[in-house]
Amino acid sequence: MKNTLFLALRSLRWYRGRATTIVLCLTLTLWLPLTVRLLLNQFRTEIVSRAKSTPLVIGAKGSRIDLALNALYFDTLPPDELTMSESHYIQDSGFATAMPLHVRYRTQSVNQVDGVPIVGTVLEYFEFRDMRIVRGHGLRMLGDCVLGSDVAESMNLEPGDQILSAPKNAFNLAGDYPLKMTIRGVLAPTHSPDDGVVFCDIRTAWIIDGIGHGHQDLSRESVEEGVLLEKEDGQVTASAAVLPYTEITSENVGSFHFHGHEADWPVTAIIANPDSRKHQTLLLGRYASDRKEKAQCVRPFRVVDDLMSIVFRVERLVQLSSLLSVCVTGLLLGLVILLSIRLRAPEIRTMHKLGCSRGTVVSLVGTEILLMTLCGTLLALAAAWGCSVAASDGLRTLLF
Amino acid sequence: MIEVTDLKFEYGDGGRKENSDSPFSLQVSRLSVTAGTSAAVVGPSGSGKTTLLHLLSGILIPGSGSIAIGEFHPAGESDSARRRHRLRNIGMVFQNFELIEYLSVLDNVLLPCRIDTSIPLTPELRDRARELLSHCGLEHLVRRNITQLSQGEQQRVAICRALLTSPALILADEPTGNLDPTTSQQIMNLLLNSVRDQGATLVMVTHDHSLLNQFDQTIDFLQFLSSPNARQESQQ
Repeated sequence: MKNTLFLALRSLRWYRGRATTIVLCLTLTLWLPLTVRLLLNQFRTEIVSRAKSTPLVIGAKGSRIDLALNALYFDTLPPDELTMSESHYIQDSGFATAMPLHVRYRTQSVNQVDGVPIVGTVLEYFEFRDMRIVRGHGLRMLGDCVLGSDVAESMNLEPGDQILSAPKNAFNLAGDYPLKMTIRGVLAPTHSPDDGVVFCDIRTAWIIDGIGHGHQDLSRESVEEGVLLEKEDGQVTASAAVLPYTEITSENVGSFHFHGHEADWPVTAIIANPDSRKHQTLLLGRYASDRKEKAQCVRPFRVVDDLMSIVFRVERLVQLSSLLSVCVTGLLLGLVILLSIRLRAPEIRTMHKLGCSRGTVVSLVGTEILLMTLCGTLLALAAAWGCSVAASDGLRTLLF
Repeated sequence: MIEVTDLKFEYGDGGRKENSDSPFSLQVSRLSVTAGTSAAVVGPSGSGKTTLLHLLSGILIPGSGSIAIGEFHPAGESDSARRRHRLRNIGMVFQNFELIEYLSVLDNVLLPCRIDTSIPLTPELRDRARELLSHCGLEHLVRRNITQLSQGEQQRVAICRALLTSPALILADEPTGNLDPTTSQQIMNLLLNSVRDQGATLVMVTHDHSLLNQFDQTIDFLQFLSSPNARQESQQ
């Protein structure tokens, strides 16, 4: 075996052009299905672990997948909105802790980095996801925000800096204004979608949404002429000349107020964390019966499982086509090897004349094929592994 | 040691030799070489000298007649038995050297050990290979690739390979054909020393009639040509 290996290695080194071509062909042929498999497995692991750690998601009726992906990854189009009353209902039921999410807006670009989603939520969410602040401190007042680790790194922002929200419609004068939020802290990396968003209190998100605002005190005598339209028995009607504050400071925070009732304000999804399996079942039961018409309650793991079954059905097609290309490449390589054996007929004849057995010649050629196959496979595995490592951070962004 | 009786051989494919269009048949009524002696085989080109060496080594099988190499009868043996016998007992020097292009000079000499486990590659054998190369004036080329050598150097490497295992029978097909007179004599000495010192039998095809007086016996192939016309044709 040692001698056969020696001769095979010498031969491969001598015919290195041919050997390299065969190895590269094999590498490329194996690399694609291996990479697809590795990336999908990685994707599955990531998406499933996030889904498993989120017991229930409640949202407006519609696509279960959109709802789950919006609540888990913040990056798909939000489904229709719910109101805060649903969150109150869950909390009041005593079955679970309700964590409302408002994910409709993004930040403006900073340092030529595209804006990221703004997630309005409650403090319980940070506890639930086991997130901690590594620099600065947490949310303390309206207008504060904390950054996911990737956002802080890519936008080069630190506590004390400010970031603007992006209005949904720049031409809507009566609608949402950009809000300048103050960055209070940066979260530790979690290697999850939480790293790629900006978190603020849900009330701050409502201010961005135009539901709450702050402006100059119109009850004072010093209001400019033309701003007040009517002032009667403490009721003040102002013109469009009154400008809302675009930044919340300790001086003007008192002027910020909301119109209407909190129960009517929008949320895109609610994460419910039941305190027991029984309560989880009861809550699911409620949404399968009493509240069936108002909202839907999904188990993200189930939704993701359904989604993955579709993805893996597609993967099977990819694998099938890859298998066909492997077969075709195998046949072509077989042809190349047969032709190269014919070209090496004088060498084989020499060995035979010296007394070499056919078995030795076969094992010599076989060892060469084995070594090339081994090299091709190892290179394909290394390339696939390299791709999966390189794509690990970008994978979620790539797919959602 | 070598006894050939009523040997008849004809190539397949209508009796044509490889790379030849004319029919060929070899008939040897009787040929004998005593063990431990040297025999020069002379004769015109195409008369069957190389074919005789291939028949003696068991690469080819006669159509009829008998060949005996000591106790061994190649015609009655299986291919693997002939192969084993060739590898262990016969050192062959081919007309076109038959070296492996992807191996170095030293590895070409050691090739018999690489292709059969019955000849283990020992340090002693490595030393012998280096010693043989040194005798042939190739000690400075041991690591060189075979394709970087001249025809004469390749010829000497082929001779070293044939002598590596100190075979009982050396079959050499024009081993001095590509060499200058001095190197040619060195090679002759090397081959004849094997006969003298190790009791080997040497059968060597040559066209160099100046070397014939160094052999114990000369086999002239003219005597084996089948018809007077063919003989005359060959002589022309």
